[in-house]
Formats: sequence, C-alpha cells, structure tokens
Amino acid sequence: MNAGREARPVYLDYAATAPAAPEVREAMLACLEDPLCFANPSSVHRAGRAAARAEAFAREQLATLIGAAPRDLLWTSGATESDNLAIIGAARFRAHRGRHLVTLRTEHKAVIDAFAALERDGFEVTWLEPGADGLLPLAALEKALREDTQLVSVMHVNNETGVIQDIEAIGSLCRERGVLYHCDAAQSVGKLPLDLGRLPVDLLSLTAHKFYGPPGIGALYIAPREGCGVEPLLHGGGQQRRLRPGTLPTPLIVGCGRAAALAAERRAADFEHVVTLSAALWERIRVLPGVVLNGAAEARYPGILNVSAEGVEGESLLLALEPLCVASGSACNSLSGEPSYVLRALGRPTELAQSAVRFSFGRPTTLADVIEAGERYAGALSRLRAIAPPPVPQALA
Amino acid sequence: MSAAPDYSERVRRLFARPEHAGDARGPVVEAARGDARVRLSAEVGNGRIERLAFRVYGCPHLIAAAEAFCAAFEGRSATELAQFSATDTIEALGIPVEKTGRILLLEDAIAALRETIGQS
Repeated sequence: MNAGREARPVYLDYAATAPAAPEVREAMLACLEDPLCFANPSSVHRAGRAAARAEAFAREQLATLIGAAPRDLLWTSGATESDNLAIIGAARFRAHRGRHLVTLRTEHKAVIDAFAALERDGFEVTWLEPGADGLLPLAALEKALREDTQLVSVMHVNNETGVIQDIEAIGSLCRERGVLYHCDAAQSVGKLPLDLGRLPVDLLSLTAHKFYGPPGIGALYIAPREGCGVEPLLHGGGQQRRLRPGTLPTPLIVGCGRAAALAAERRAADFEHVVTLSAALWERIRVLPGVVLNGAAEARYPGILNVSAEGVEGESLLLALEPLCVASGSACNSLSGEPSYVLRALGRPTELAQSAVRFSFGRPTTLADVIEAGERYAGALSRLRAIAPPPVPQALA
Repeated sequence: MSAAPDYSERVRRLFARPEHAGDARGPVVEAARGDARVRLSAEVGNGRIERLAFRVYGCPHLIAAAEAFCAAFEGRSATELAQFSATDTIEALGIPVEKTGRILLLEDAIAALRETIGQS
C-alpha cells in the first residue's frame, strides 16, 4: 500500500473548508495594516468611524450576494453559532405561541445538537426522515406541521452528500402554515443562486470559510417579518441590536465581504468548474466494482461527490488514499467506529456507510487532481480488498 | 465527516507494506467483533510455524498489528504464540487506547490459532 507521505497533497475537502482567496487575504491585510481600520466599529471617534465604514461596506457585499437587505444580517463567528442562534433563539422567541419544532435527521450536527438541547429544555421536536435519495418528502413535512409548530429547520445543501433540498417549496409550506423556516446554507452560499428577497426563508445561516473567506466569521439572516425574531444567546454590549453582542472583528468581516463579492462575480464559472470535475471523477470511479453514489444523483451540488464501496473499511481506505485530503463517512476516532448518521438515515447498511468517502472540489482544484484521485481511489480499493478475508456468507452474517 | 486520525510511523509503515497479507497453507482461524474481522493462517512444519499470514477487514491499526504479529512469530513454535501480548503491541506500535478492542480481537484470533495448531 502507498502511504505516500512524500507525495504532493491533493486537497479535495472544500466542503470542510476552503482557503481564503488571495483577494480576500489582500483585503484583510490592508484592513489590518490600515492606521484606522483596526479600530472598534462601535467607537464614535475617527478611527471607529473608518472601521464602521469598512464593516458597512462588507455587510453590503454579503447582503448583495444573497439578495438580502444589509440591516437584516447579524455577524456571528460562523455557521455553528448562526444555527444555534437561529434555532434556540427563535424557539425561545416564539415559545409563548407553542413549543413544537421540526427538523430533518440529516442536518448538520450544529442543527441536530441545538434541537437536542431544546428537547432537554422541554420543547417537542419532530425528527423527519429523508428518502433514500436524501431529499425531504414534502408530504412528511406537511403531515408533521401542527397548530403549535413554531419552527422548521432544513438545510439547503447537505454537507456530506451535496443533496439539494427544495427550500422554496419547504419555505412556502411553512409560510402557508405560519411557521418560521430556518435554512442552514453553509454549503450553498456563494455556490448556488440565493435570493432572499424572493425566497420564503425566515432565518438563514452562513459562514465565510466555505466560500473562500476567512474562518471565524459568519452571519445569520433574519427576515424583517412580523413574528420572525430570535432571543439573544449572548449578553454583553449593545452591538447588533443586542441580538449578538460583542466587538465586531473588522478584518474578518472585510474578508467575508470581499469573498462574497468574489463569489457573486465567479459563481457561474465556479459552478461549471465543479460540474466538470465531479463528472470527471465519477466517470472514473463509477465503473469500479461495488461502488455506489450516496444521495440523489440529480438534486445534488456537484462540488460534493460522496461514494461508498463494498468490502473496504472506511478508516483504512482514508489512510490508503493519502496524500488525498478527503473526508470519511466513519467516525474514525470513536470507540464504536459509528458510521455517518447522515448515510445511515439514507438507509445505507453500516458497512457501506462506513466506507464512504466525500470528495469535494473547489476553485483551485484541477482536472489533474481529480484524475489522480480517481487512480488512487481505484488502487486503494483494489489493495484493501486483496487483503480482506472473504465475505461472511449472508446466512452467517 | 471526519478526517483520519494521526498514526505512528510504525503503524504507517506496516500498513503501507504488509508483507504477510494473504494465506498460508495450513490451519486457518477467524475472529470477528463488530465490523472488524481477522483471519490468520499458518504453515506448520517440524514443530515450528514456517509461515504466518493474515487477512483483515478493519482499521489501519489492526492491519499493522496483524502484520507485526506475523513478522515476529514466524519461525517460532506454536506454544510460543502464547507470548503475544496485546498490551505490548499497543505500546510498541503507538496504538491509541480507544483501539484496544481491535487488538484484543487479534489476540482472540491468535489464541484460536494456537489451539487449532495444537489439535492438528
């Protein structure tokens, strides 16, 4: 087997994080070096006003990317905080009306765990199951909504499979029933078109580092609608309408704004790029025996390709794939070796779920990278299968 | 989704070049726990284990430990298999404590092999 420690790393884990774009780094450095921009944007002196102008400009850039009004955005530390503020904050904001909430089993952990925390606080949560393709059956959502339902949370693009939910249909249904709709859009902002001026979304979470901005900065969109709001989770200064207090990190915000402007310029070209890369890799590995695609083939963001293979163990596969930097569907460090809960919810058997590998592509990925990935994947499957014991007969399993 | 844990140099080396992966012509045993499976086979002659081989479906630590075991015990007697120590292997290979169960699975397979050779 090829440990490949000396070989050039091939980064195919853009769904985990993307490097800050050179233009973003430049904008952030300029902000850090500016004799005034470093200041606290809440300060009323000249330096503070300069920082406030930089913050406002970045806010405008981000708002433009998602079709929102700048005043409807709250800066946060990233999508995890945005998800928590949206879900826990909105549940508490609307608790006097009812305590029933709805979400999907395949949401990101930040959403799952926020709902689990609310359950411990006495809220009732309906956990919807996706279909085998990862899509939420709308009829199941419709059936789950009740008189006392206050919030539905369903993500846009799934972080493991790339499956795209129909957020317009979900949001419309929620609007009809007077329920708030939160969407974790960490994987779609800057990658798919999003127009919050048109879409029936009440709360939307995003994070800059998924679209070539810096880590540590994200935002929560809150629609300016009657009955839509959040209770703050943090308490302190009066920043951001007291909904998310704390000194604003101007250089990070500037980087987020620049990344948003770049994404707006390049979104179509970026999308075409990942379509080409995804097709090239899938073409190479779909022909390998026992390989399956996880999640819907059509309703899928092509920047993510999640595949499982029969007869190989996930952690060994990941090591055999080095120097590819990809994500595994198994929780390698855990005692139980539990496979991905997302793939299990799609009905994948344990062994297949555990062998899952998520390839995710980005702006810097080249065709040569995915060709190499395809070759290494084929080689790793073949080597690991060659040393595995014969399969246990079904009757004995 | 998770990234690969860090591995010791020895685990990486043994995983990358498992010279004893395959089958030996002789007694065969298998052990399984959870999804992990180990198969050991031995070619025995003149009271000694002339060749040891393994097959593993499992994590890199288990593959590395199986390879290390085969390399260490080839050429020795079946009774000496009792000297295999999961604890020593874990320490020697720098295997994280949460993987102890996997190495105990190997220990089970080795015990079964010793017994099978003894009966043959």
